[in-house]
Amino acid sequence: MLPRTIGRAVILLAVEAFFFILFAAFMKTDETGKVIAFLLFFIGLGVMFKKWEKARLTLTGLFKELKIVAGAGFVAMLLTLPFIFQASPYLIHICVMAGLFAILALGLNFQLGSTNVVNFATAASYGIGAYASALLAVHFHISFWLGLLVGGSLASIFGLLLGIPCMKTKDYYLSLVTIAFGLIVYILLNNFSWTGGPNGIPNIPPPSLFGHSFKEPLSLFGYQLPFQSNYYYLIFLLVGGSLFVAHRLHHSRVGLTWNAIREDEIAARCHGIDVTWYKILAFCIDAFFGGVAGTVYSHYIGFISPENFAFIVSVVVVTMVILGGMDNVFGVIIGAILLTILPEKFRAFEDFRVLIYGLIVVTMLMFRPQGLFPQKMRIYKK
Amino acid sequence: MAEIFQQLINALLLGCTYTLIAIGFNLFFGALNVVHFSHGDVCILGAFMTLILYGLAKLLGLVTFLPGYVFVPLLILMAMVLTGLIGTFFERVVIRPFRYAPLLMVLVATVALGMVVRETVRLSFPHGSNPQIFPRILPQTSFQWEGVLIRLDSLIIFGTTIFLISMMFLFIKRTRIGAAIRAVSQDTEAAAMMGINIDRTVAVTFLIGSVLGAIAGILIGAYNNIIRFDMGLMGGVKGFSAAVVGGLGNVYGAIIGGLILGLVETFAAAFIPGGTPYTDVFAFLVVIFFLIFKPSGILGEKVYEKV
Repeated sequence: MLPRTIGRAVILLAVEAFFFILFAAFMKTDETGKVIAFLLFFIGLGVMFKKWEKARLTLTGLFKELKIVAGAGFVAMLLTLPFIFQASPYLIHICVMAGLFAILALGLNFQLGSTNVVNFATAASYGIGAYASALLAVHFHISFWLGLLVGGSLASIFGLLLGIPCMKTKDYYLSLVTIAFGLIVYILLNNFSWTGGPNGIPNIPPPSLFGHSFKEPLSLFGYQLPFQSNYYYLIFLLVGGSLFVAHRLHHSRVGLTWNAIREDEIAARCHGIDVTWYKILAFCIDAFFGGVAGTVYSHYIGFISPENFAFIVSVVVVTMVILGGMDNVFGVIIGAILLTILPEKFRAFEDFRVLIYGLIVVTMLMFRPQGLFPQKMRIYKK
Repeated sequence: MAEIFQQLINALLLGCTYTLIAIGFNLFFGALNVVHFSHGDVCILGAFMTLILYGLAKLLGLVTFLPGYVFVPLLILMAMVLTGLIGTFFERVVIRPFRYAPLLMVLVATVALGMVVRETVRLSFPHGSNPQIFPRILPQTSFQWEGVLIRLDSLIIFGTTIFLISMMFLFIKRTRIGAAIRAVSQDTEAAAMMGINIDRTVAVTFLIGSVLGAIAGILIGAYNNIIRFDMGLMGGVKGFSAAVVGGLGNVYGAIIGGLILGLVETFAAAFIPGGTPYTDVFAFLVVIFFLIFKPSGILGEKVYEKV
């Protein structure tokens, strides 16, 4: 039995490695023509995968059987990414941004995906986390690690504040409140003098760990990695943590309750679910994720201004959740990664970026409202 | 006293534009139970349409050929019709497919549609991110009255708004299509059973709403002399807020809501020291206050949830 398992594990890892190499090669291309060729190849692969049932069943069976091996292989490959992109810090930067947006999208997923609460104030909690930790770091020299907690908690309090008026409202009214809140935060950031107004906050100190400043190159196993790798590993941990939290929440009573509220709020209330409390919980958790992402962003870039937290950012995050698949944590992450990497690959069409985001949302909602990777049916073992 | 009066005029003007936008929201909500979040962008599109048509007319030499009092109404009329058709087209393409889908979908789709409209406008103008100069189509004279400065164009704006709104009420009260619109907004299913063509009625509703919105956009452009591609976001949120404050679905509520928002903004800017940059914040706080304590708005009926 054992040799057979090892053989299957080897096949599995080979498949993973194949995709990983493809991904790395894709990241390294920068000519529009080649990028399109790669994309067509990926789409073809997807279609083939869908059509060729035997291969699909075998592969998914393999993944299910050897979950731990698959996960470990995946993690190991992702950890080597900075070594592969050693010569081009820009690629690592894209990965860091993809990670940040993945955290934001995971946070929003609790609301938009699980609970059916459309929140257009993601950018606000993102901004509050960023500004809180940046101000603390610049004026009071508070370390990044404490700032991470403070930023998250402050954003969470904001989520609570936003959640209270939202509980009185539903649907359109609720979106109006969140849009209004997002715009209020944006206007305030733009006009307060202590937030630097439109000029923002410059010179935010980078975090440091055990005396190693994140602004310095990282040397590992005799390799000199660009400083972005520090943040890459940090964001890797954070995304991993968020993923774990999101996954556990989804499979807990809380996730089930959220889904119940999504399906029918009145029915949920009749079953004794405290709808208000669970909705506010979703608001707070979402805002915490946003605040954490904001903190990392501000310390990573070293400069923030209100423009980084405009309404459009919220819409982009909503796009990620919808594209990836509502209430599917892995799908959401893939949505975030796709929508961060693809625009960077199509730099030539930079101007059309927002337009394309909008078109993606409209067409996805029309033709595949469940997203690329729809939520799977909950299965409970007997 | 003169100061307060001056501010009242400003508030009235602002209220007029908000009302025109809010009427659209109310009509759509009445007809389809839908909030068209890109309506604000459609409104500003009216202003950009005028800009384009004005440029075309200039190229053809019509500006000097026709006298101003013929040319300007013609220009505005054409922009109105075009914007109305675009609004109807959006309904057909983006909103109709979601008629029987969950609310969330049409909500997100219209927000995204607004983004598409904004970006299309931005990309189709050279230096589209910068404010565009709006042609001075209204007379620029002004006169003093008891120490209050009154601009002639504000009088025209005020008159136009009142005229249009009364026309719309007449249309809804007196014509067959108006009756159909009222019937659909009361009960869509029953209206369909009585032989009313729902699709056509909804299309007419969107046409009227978009035309009125286009006027709002043109008035904003004419009054400020500049327009920006992203004015539609704020305009739409404000118009929707006005509709909510007045009572969503109630066309009369739009007038009250628009005036309240106009008053709050103007007076916050004028009488709160250092309040000018925060006018929008005050407006939104009022809206949130209303949503918490009177979610059905001033004139709206309380809605009971049916299971």
